[in-house]
Formats: sequence, structure tokens, C-alpha cells
Amino acid sequence: MSTAPPDQDEPGIGEPANRTRLAWTRTAIALAALGAAMLRASLIAGVIVIALSVPVWAAVRRIGQASDALSSIAVLRLVTATVVLVAAAALVIAFLGHGPVTLSELLHGH
Amino acid sequence: MTDAGGGEPARAGPAGVPAHEAAEPEPDPRFTLANERTFLAWSRTALALVAAGLGIVQLLPPFPGVPLGRHVLGVPLIILGAVIAVAAYWEMTRNQHAMRRGEPLPRSILPRLLAGTIAGIAALAAAVVLLSAVR
Repeated sequence: MSTAPPDQDEPGIGEPANRTRLAWTRTAIALAALGAAMLRASLIAGVIVIALSVPVWAAVRRIGQASDALSSIAVLRLVTATVVLVAAAALVIAFLGHGPVTLSELLHGH
Repeated sequence: MTDAGGGEPARAGPAGVPAHEAAEPEPDPRFTLANERTFLAWSRTALALVAAGLGIVQLLPPFPGVPLGRHVLGVPLIILGAVIAVAAYWEMTRNQHAMRRGEPLPRSILPRLLAGTIAGIAALAAAVVLLSAVR
């Protein structure tokens, strides 16, 4: 999963850099999973959220390359904006979408 | 969330930056990476809150006798997720500035915000369940 060989890391920050790569990966997976869960309620919202997990996952690549500065502030802002967008979409779905009423509707659609 | 202790490496790091070296433009990369991981951990917490709120509204059957019961529980969780995402970004920027100046990290409002709101949601959930049982 790590995109750069470990020997390219500066000695001494390899371990924190690896932890940070894993944290980015977990965040991307969480985002994609939530997007997949939203697909049923809103196809468009689900696809957008899954698509937004791609740049978050791609952020793994630059960890350890410019390690003396915060990760490109644009990616961090993107994460925040994405979570806010997901929350807004969830609110719209909560008020406009009709959730399944019974278990069979949950399993077989409605 | 064991990696979420943003303040811990800044105090315990073997090569901790002393306060009088505040002229350094950037802190130790390890502290910056820890700050970034803390931000990501709060972002995942925010995503989990949104997912929980959406799940309550979309997946639970309605509470009998409490028509908007699911929304009463789910909507605050979703809003809390958005608030935590923005607050996490704000605190990450603030902590980075503090580390550049060699100052101690300011106290985080996020744990209190999260604990308070979860306690409130729990009380709401108890009220909805009791109301639904009485009717």
C-alpha cells in the first residue's frame, strides 16, 4: 500500500510517516464506505462521496516527501469540506428520502 | 483512535523543540505529522457521526407513537459531524501555529463538545424510547 520504498524516508521520521499514511488510508476507506452506504438513498450523492475518497487516498503518496510542512493544506481543506458536504447530503436524505419501514423493505428495496 | 493524542508527542518527543527556539519556521516533522493524524482521526469521528445519524433516519423502523423520533435523534448527530469536521480543521491550524511559535498547545474543545453532545443524544434517545413505550 505504501507507494514509496521505506528507504526514501528521512531516517527518524519513517515510523510517524507510516502511521500518517495509514491514517490517510483509514480516512479514505471510511469515506468510501459511507459513500457506498449512501448509494441506496441517493445514487448521485453516493457516487460523489466515493469519488471524493480518491484524492484523499492519493494523499498517501506525498507523506514523507515534504515532511517539514503540513501536508498540502488543500488536501486537508478537501477532507473538511467533504465531511461537511456529506453531512449536508445526509440532512437532505434524512428529510426528503423515505427510509425503509420494515426489514423486508430494507432487504428488498422499496 | 489511539493515535489521536495530538499533544502527547510535543511533550514526550526525545528531540522535543524547546520553547526558546521559537524562531524555527516549522516544528519537528514528527509533531506536524502527529497534528495531521489527530485531524484525520477527528475527521473519521465526524464521518462516523454522520453515518450513525443517517443510519438512524434511514434504517430504523419508526418509533410507534413518536412520528419524528428518528429525526430527533439522527439530525443532531449529522449536524454534530459537520461541526466537528470544521472544528478539527480549525484546531489543527491553531496547533500548528502554536508549535511554530514554540508555545504550549491550546486546550482542545473537541472532547468536551463530543462528550456533551453524545450525552445529550443519549438523553434524547432514552426520552424517545420511553415515550414510544408509554403510548
